[in-house]
Amino acid sequence: MAAIAAFALLATPLLALSADARRQRDVPLEVDKPASIRPWYRYKVDSQGSTWPQTDWKGFNSIALGNASPPVEGAPKTQLPIQGDAERGRNLAYDRARGGSCVVCHVMGKTTPAQPGNVGPDLSTVGAKRTDEWLFNYVYDPRIYNAGSIMPPWGAYKVFSLDEIRDIVAFLKTLREPYAIADKSENPNTRPPPVESRDNLDPTENPAMFALDRGKDVFKRNGSRGKSCASCHATPDTSFKTWAAHMPRFESRLNRVVGVEEFITRHARPTTGDEMPMQSDDNVALSIYLHNVADGAAIDPDVTSAGAKRAAANGRELMKRKIGQLNMACVDCHSNHANKWVRGQYLVQFKGTIAHFPTWRTSRGDIWDIRKRFQWCNVSVRANELPPDAREYGDLEMVLAVINKGEKINAPGIRH
Amino acid sequence: MQYIRRRLLKAIGGGAALMLAASAGILRTGHAFAAIWNKTGFDAKVPSDALKSLGADGAQPSKDITLTAPDIAENGAQVPVTVVSKVPNTQSISIIVDKNPFPLNSTFDFANGADSYVSTKIKMGQTSNVVAMVKADGKFFTATKEVKVTIGGCGG
Amino acid sequence: MAEPMKIRAKMEGDTADVKVLMSHPMETGQRKNDKGDLVPVHFIQIVTATHNGKTVLDAQWSQAIARNPFLGFRVKGAKAGDKITVSWTDTTGDKGSIDTTVAAA
Repeated sequence: MAAIAAFALLATPLLALSADARRQRDVPLEVDKPASIRPWYRYKVDSQGSTWPQTDWKGFNSIALGNASPPVEGAPKTQLPIQGDAERGRNLAYDRARGGSCVVCHVMGKTTPAQPGNVGPDLSTVGAKRTDEWLFNYVYDPRIYNAGSIMPPWGAYKVFSLDEIRDIVAFLKTLREPYAIADKSENPNTRPPPVESRDNLDPTENPAMFALDRGKDVFKRNGSRGKSCASCHATPDTSFKTWAAHMPRFESRLNRVVGVEEFITRHARPTTGDEMPMQSDDNVALSIYLHNVADGAAIDPDVTSAGAKRAAANGRELMKRKIGQLNMACVDCHSNHANKWVRGQYLVQFKGTIAHFPTWRTSRGDIWDIRKRFQWCNVSVRANELPPDAREYGDLEMVLAVINKGEKINAPGIRH
Repeated sequence: MQYIRRRLLKAIGGGAALMLAASAGILRTGHAFAAIWNKTGFDAKVPSDALKSLGADGAQPSKDITLTAPDIAENGAQVPVTVVSKVPNTQSISIIVDKNPFPLNSTFDFANGADSYVSTKIKMGQTSNVVAMVKADGKFFTATKEVKVTIGGCGG
Repeated sequence: MAEPMKIRAKMEGDTADVKVLMSHPMETGQRKNDKGDLVPVHFIQIVTATHNGKTVLDAQWSQAIARNPFLGFRVKGAKAGDKITVSWTDTTGDKGSIDTTVAAA
């Protein structure tokens, strides 16, 4: 009796798996080591000289660390009327190195510099409409008046000192006249959204096509076990015609989501013997190859398993989590305020954003996989990034694949 | 020749790569340079000096030059620029970026049936006028376009 | 040690349209690497294009041509089957070269 029950217990999970899932379980995967470099450390500079900020933001939420950020408290009392230097305040409002800062989201009267954003309201007359105290409190921590604000808590999170906030308020008080931006391409409310018209698969246009060649070579190259990918996969152009379109997938042996890049790392180790950590040149090249083989295939992740459903649901929650010194969530920019301008850049919504990965980035001179894109977004809002194989990034990639279901793979991409 | 080349390379060291270029004429490894690199022009820090090095004092604007570049470039790392010259007997096209630290960007000389057409991608440090300068029949003509460089919202 | 290049030459009417992408860092000498050291100047200075062996284009480049530089040029009176060669020399004396045959329209 006990033996039969035990057998039934063992057999049931296998029988409950789909044919796909059973096939998946047969694929050799290394599951004990990390799939990226440890200890993880942040990039410093990309190939073209574009840098990554090096600050450790451990005092603020990351995508993984949910409760590090300071709680909402009131603003400190300040002497009224506000005494501050309006010119210093104006320089701070326009200083990109300090967080943007204000002009990333707001038009601010006749001194507004080039390419202001419009995520937030036009502040050109705010000095005539608001009290000193209101302005001070709002800049210190907008959540005092607007719990759902996406504006960073500039004072509470110590981006600006109290003196600097007083200077900014002094500047805001000078904004008393409406300001119409005549140039239609300067005015964020009339500027047409950018259109991507490059042929990303033209090898004379996209430097990532050199990496596609490299990926094809890596596929045929013998690893330390004397075998290549081609040793078992003789006809990749047919076998993998839609493979990348069904990634990422929930991998029960790791109990989390695995994308193409992590799969490459973990599958190569027990088969060819190649060590290709995520974001290494060989890994990126192979990822481009496998995505390119599936060019035109419709994104369609498998969400039938309980694990995949959990991952997608968790991904949705992670997209709403406020992180970083700038206190932002993915949805703030890419859902609630999509199709607006942050300074001179357009905020895209989630749908239509992943089918071109891995992508050449013209501003960085490098190819980015989707995990590097997440890492950069985190660092941009002044949150510590996670290693590329973080479980949370897998959840995010899964929910993005779900949102992008039906979009056709078109990789390698080329973007700013 | 190889001996001279080795001596020169030894003498030059790290910081004098541009000098290497200037003496390029004698560095023949069986492949002659048809063009001598315009060191004076490329070292010029203001557009007028760059134009002077090309002999282009008194260049006139011309509607026969079509300069195509984005109104707003997505970044300053690689801005696509295309120049088509319909000025008769065009000999060369140069690209100048007024506000770049070294305004002279490049020069293209045509021969043997080449169309007076060139397309490339340039670096721009900031919003600036881009000037296409054409030399035709020994005279100089220009077309100018302001190209704005995107200022990013979130650090990249 | 030539870096890879990509070239495509195609007839458009009576003109061959040629596009080339060269893999090259085009270092300005102003960039700092991971360790904080200045990366030395290293860029393509001279580009030459030939059509059936005759020089059609001589270009002088500065460090302000973009990384992984692109070049587009056209040759009037060319025909499908003609040979196009594009060669470059950089500040270290390194060279690269690629040739192709003009494809029909």
